[in-house]
Amino acid sequence: MIPAWHYDGQTATRYEVYVVAQDDGLRLDLGEGRSDVAPWGDLFWIDKRDGASVFGRKGADGWRVGIPLPMTDLLVRRLPPQSRYGGLVDKFGIWPAVAGFTALSAAVVLVLWKAPDVVAPLVPMSWEQKMGDAMVGDLGGRICDGAEGQKALDALVRRIDPDAANLRVRIVNVDMVNAAALPGGQILIFRGLLQEAKNPDELAGVLGHEIGHVRNRDVMQALLRQMGLSLLLGGVGGDVGGALNSAISASYSRAAESRADDYAINLMRTANVSPLPTAGFFDRLAADERKLGKGAVAMSYMSSHPLSDERRKVFLASARKGAAYAPAVTPQQWRAIVDACANDPDVKEGDLF
Amino acid sequence: MGVGNQDQTAFEFRGDWKEFFPIAASNLLLTLVTLGIYRFWATTRERRYFWSQTRFIDDTLEWTGTGKELFLGFLMAIVALILPVIGLQFLIQALILQGQTALAGALGLGFYVVLLFLAGFATFRALRYRLSRTHWHGIRGGSEDPGFRYGLSYIWKTLVGGLALGLLIPWSMTSLWADRWNQMSFGPHRFESAPEWGGLMKRFLLLYLVPVAAVILGVVAAVSSGGDPGGLGAMVGLLVLAFYVVLPLLALGYYAAFFREVVDTLSLTTINFQFTARTKEWFLLFLGNAGLFILALIAALIPISALGLFSGFTDLQPGQDPFAQNPGLIAGMVLALIIPMSLVGPFIRYRNWRFFIRNLEATGVIDLDLLTQSQTKVGSHGEGLFDALDMGAM
Repeated sequence: MIPAWHYDGQTATRYEVYVVAQDDGLRLDLGEGRSDVAPWGDLFWIDKRDGASVFGRKGADGWRVGIPLPMTDLLVRRLPPQSRYGGLVDKFGIWPAVAGFTALSAAVVLVLWKAPDVVAPLVPMSWEQKMGDAMVGDLGGRICDGAEGQKALDALVRRIDPDAANLRVRIVNVDMVNAAALPGGQILIFRGLLQEAKNPDELAGVLGHEIGHVRNRDVMQALLRQMGLSLLLGGVGGDVGGALNSAISASYSRAAESRADDYAINLMRTANVSPLPTAGFFDRLAADERKLGKGAVAMSYMSSHPLSDERRKVFLASARKGAAYAPAVTPQQWRAIVDACANDPDVKEGDLF
Repeated sequence: MGVGNQDQTAFEFRGDWKEFFPIAASNLLLTLVTLGIYRFWATTRERRYFWSQTRFIDDTLEWTGTGKELFLGFLMAIVALILPVIGLQFLIQALILQGQTALAGALGLGFYVVLLFLAGFATFRALRYRLSRTHWHGIRGGSEDPGFRYGLSYIWKTLVGGLALGLLIPWSMTSLWADRWNQMSFGPHRFESAPEWGGLMKRFLLLYLVPVAAVILGVVAAVSSGGDPGGLGAMVGLLVLAFYVVLPLLALGYYAAFFREVVDTLSLTTINFQFTARTKEWFLLFLGNAGLFILALIAALIPISALGLFSGFTDLQPGQDPFAQNPGLIAGMVLALIIPMSLVGPFIRYRNWRFFIRNLEATGVIDLDLLTQSQTKVGSHGEGLFDALDMGAM
């Protein structure tokens, strides 16, 4: 007979009772000959309060019994143990649980990081095209789609990639030195890049690189990876502007970048376009970056396509000595491309978002 | 049983931060290694501690919520509400990009109204959840009302409060508080709330007029000085002072009065509640919380700057990626930042709860035999939506 206190969950009245450990459960002597037996399996630990361990009873809202500490060995054996961190952690102990969770989390991160490489090539191109259309649309009228400019640009694309039917290369009226591959074979060339480029061969190199990203399904991979990461960080965002922005400024892995460079070099070799101007273009951009500083080139080609000396050398080395290269497009076509935005009467100007 | 007299206050918080620290620290560790999923169980452990250290008359409160139900609530909020909302947002932005501005605008307006509804609904459900998981003497609270009606009145009262140039905000705040609490109960008894907003208008008008006055005074100062640098400087100084010092203090003063009014007019049958904190106490609370934050920042910056120096980030070349070379150091820097900054949250919640309980009073008489168990339903899930909309702040 151990003195204890008790709430029956029916009223707020506090009862002074005696508890007895029986085979079938904990018996509460309520006085005046009345008693109540709570089966051992129905009792659960709640907390320690004012020198007593408090237990509740399954299926009886508010039913409580507080047994003063220390409890007899018999009661300690029969009553449920104290819980601290939550079921699973209590079962294994905190340090084994921490180790287990760490391993599991590492595995999840690894899967989320690696899965896009496997999943991206499996995403149907038609889905990717729909995604790209939803993201880009007509960029709020900022596409320079005057007939002459677009025609000349299409000619350039066909010249370096005869298989260009599923590509959509367009010029955007935004003063930003950059080019980007987006889902669904969409490639955006920003006006600033055209002003920076000195001749069509330079543009051909940059374009070939973006085509490489499209063909290697790098865009989808980056998109899936970003979705996975934002899922992990809990910030599931439905922000298209943000998605477009990050697709433009996405930097791919070094391996993906150099595969895209290889792709570009191959295209140019087949098309008989010189890779040397592209190397020179990288040189000038790198010099700009040194002059302006890293901060000034955010959102630009230099930030999304880190310019290393190796990249330039790869283009340089791919030039064949004594080869009779032909310009990517005629001077008239090049003018039409460079002036595409100026010649498009209904194009809107402005920054992106 | 009598409640609240000269000798003993009805509510008392007897927690100790040294006792709370192991809870906060182990919560942080488990949350980190589970990529954040443990946070629901962490919240539950925190609340169990706060509630169990809070005495009302002769016994402590008891938090009976579980981590599992908070987790379920979160999952339900994601599936049923957050995903559709994200989809709608995606659609609106896509429409804007494609030049369909009118349609996007209409959708956007509808989206805003839906969001208002959800905000109100979530506030109501969170209060209901918290009361239904709060036990005292084995008796809990709750509400029969599912909260849809409250969501609707939240829409129109917020809109009306804001539309009249914001002048009716005290009305919408007090009226919504009453709408909420009048639907809540503890045991068999309903809460009764009847706050008046008239008394709050003086402080609210002060808060309302200071920015206007500051701009007028600033312009007058600038014009009368004839544009000389001294006058312009005075104008800028005045504006900065008004917006960063005077305005927050007045807002705090208004909120202190609001909170006293709504708690002082709240009762549960024969018990009346009071809240004693004045502007000064609220100010000290926020000052202390800000101090905690700064302390954590300092604790984070010392190891970070040491690591930064060692890793040689100073001679970066363009096009080089420092993160690729030093993944271990980066992880160390991130941890050095995350650990102290994540401990700020639990301790701010600790201080807020202590502040709330220390300033809460109750007077009257309770008949324990008449305080019978609540017949309201106990939901199977927690305050997921409230959590998701990030409205847990006090």
